[in-house]
Amino acid sequence: MTFIELQGVTKSYSKGEHRITPLADVTLEIKQGEFFVLLGPSGSGKTTLLNLLGGIDRPDDGTVRVNGTSLNSMGPRGLAAWRATHVGYVFQAHHLIPVLTAYENIELPLHLFTLDARQRHERVALALAAVGLTDRATHYPRQLSGGQEQRVAIARALVADPPLLICDEPTGNLDRDSAQATMHLLRRLNEERGKTLVMVTHDVNAASFGSRVLRLDKGKLLEQPAESVQ
Amino acid sequence: MRLLLKLAYRYLRRRPGRTALTLAGVASSFLLFVCIESLAAGLDRALSGQDAARTLIVYRMNRYCPQTSFLPERYAKRVREIEGVESVLPVKVYLSNCRASLDVVAFQGAPADELLATRPIEVIAGDVERFKNQPQSALIGREFAARRGLGPGDSFRFGDISVDVAGVFRSRDSVNEGLILTHLEFLQRASSVNRLGTVTQLEVKVDQAENSGRIAREIDALFKSDEEPTDTRSQLQFLEDSTRELRELLAFARIFGLVCVAVVLVLVANTVLMSVQERRKDFGIYATIGFRAPHITGVVLIETLFLTLGGGLLGVVGALCAIHFSHLSLGVEGVIVTFDLSPMVFVRGALVALVAALLACLAPAWRAANTDPQLLLKGA
Repeated sequence: MTFIELQGVTKSYSKGEHRITPLADVTLEIKQGEFFVLLGPSGSGKTTLLNLLGGIDRPDDGTVRVNGTSLNSMGPRGLAAWRATHVGYVFQAHHLIPVLTAYENIELPLHLFTLDARQRHERVALALAAVGLTDRATHYPRQLSGGQEQRVAIARALVADPPLLICDEPTGNLDRDSAQATMHLLRRLNEERGKTLVMVTHDVNAASFGSRVLRLDKGKLLEQPAESVQ
Repeated sequence: MRLLLKLAYRYLRRRPGRTALTLAGVASSFLLFVCIESLAAGLDRALSGQDAARTLIVYRMNRYCPQTSFLPERYAKRVREIEGVESVLPVKVYLSNCRASLDVVAFQGAPADELLATRPIEVIAGDVERFKNQPQSALIGREFAARRGLGPGDSFRFGDISVDVAGVFRSRDSVNEGLILTHLEFLQRASSVNRLGTVTQLEVKVDQAENSGRIAREIDALFKSDEEPTDTRSQLQFLEDSTRELRELLAFARIFGLVCVAVVLVLVANTVLMSVQERRKDFGIYATIGFRAPHITGVVLIETLFLTLGGGLLGVVGALCAIHFSHLSLGVEGVIVTFDLSPMVFVRGALVALVAALLACLAPAWRAANTDPQLLLKGA
């Protein structure tokens, strides 16, 4: 079943006097429960594509549909509400709120829902357990290692139980062991919870965890042979 | 709301030095603002005395300071004969300083019985009979008593004049509460004053306020060719004339106070703007997660309110404490203006702080609410 559908998507922006078109007439389908990986060098348009899929940006041309909903027609308020319920984000730089503890960071998205304190606590406890950080709940980001920070970010992304996880270079700032653990965690979420994952990376080792890998080059999507990723 | 409060508090606590300095700046400014407003309110109160409309002050013509106004005491008898005059109180005034001063000592001597019958005073401590019977005794206003730490039984000496405090009084007319009331002859005989038979002014009570103008003209006409021609004005006019320079200065000071508030507004806006600039990444995270502009604006607004209202409150309370415990009053040409600590001054300070907070948060809140979440995905 198609979960994400991009039809003839074009996106361009100005950089100084130049006009850059990172995505030109891109068409793509991602199935529900798929672990989709997008490989590509810096500046190839990977982040632009993630922005469009995550409802952070809108295309100049073409349509973006996620789970049957067209994102093109939504205004900023609608997109914010849609992001809260449909998408969890994991960033390369973790992007935790420094003044909140691990527990409070994970709880943050739940404040957008009508949940009482007990319900929020139950969900946060589950998310902390899922990433193996129950004993770090009261730690602030500065008190955590890079790998632990990334696991908190993953817990935050999944605490509201969104169907789609968008991961932007999730292992980019991690050492080899932490990167490996993070990728295993993401694959487990994909396999056990049926989350659709869209991950961009230039790390072929991380890409090998995906169920489908495409390469974005000069605004065009190219199939990436599985053996070349292994 | 709890989340917004928690976030605002944590962000402010994260930079304790900056937060403390901003609070101190805001507090200093509001301390100044409230002191000026309190003095202005005190002056308004002094000019709105209940007996002002029915009271005339007879002064020596072309004299503006009590130290230079000398009228024969016998004038009182002639004024009493004018139709519509209820009472005449001859008053000798002795001041420590005729110019504006924050700690003026003002003696007023008058016949005791007439003084107690005419002035709107109520003795709240001490013994009135002792005052009546002892020529060297005095009743002191409660503001002066508090300022100098005096009470019944104490003695007070200023220059060559030494009085025994027989009682402390309060008055519905605030201008009375900073005075030392003593006996006329005692003050006339005081060595540094020593002008027996002369008074500084006559206080004339008329039967109806509308007769004031006519009676004032009659008094001045009566003494026009006499040795000491008079200038008779209503008490309100007299107070306004005496405090004219003070009011002009105060009007300037109020502008100065508002400028200080404006400076604070800019200071807070700049502080919060810097803070927002530092936290663009955080605001991008909120936006990406699904928080909308009102949530983000809320965090910035609460921070600004905390800084401005918190600092404002510190300043207002500091000013109220300073005024309350120092018992300062401002005297000019014998008129004593006490600082007004009414709730309205407090409310006005709080309202100005609130408006300043709302204005100060506009630019930072707009900047924060419009943070582009794409910055995060670009690795900002």
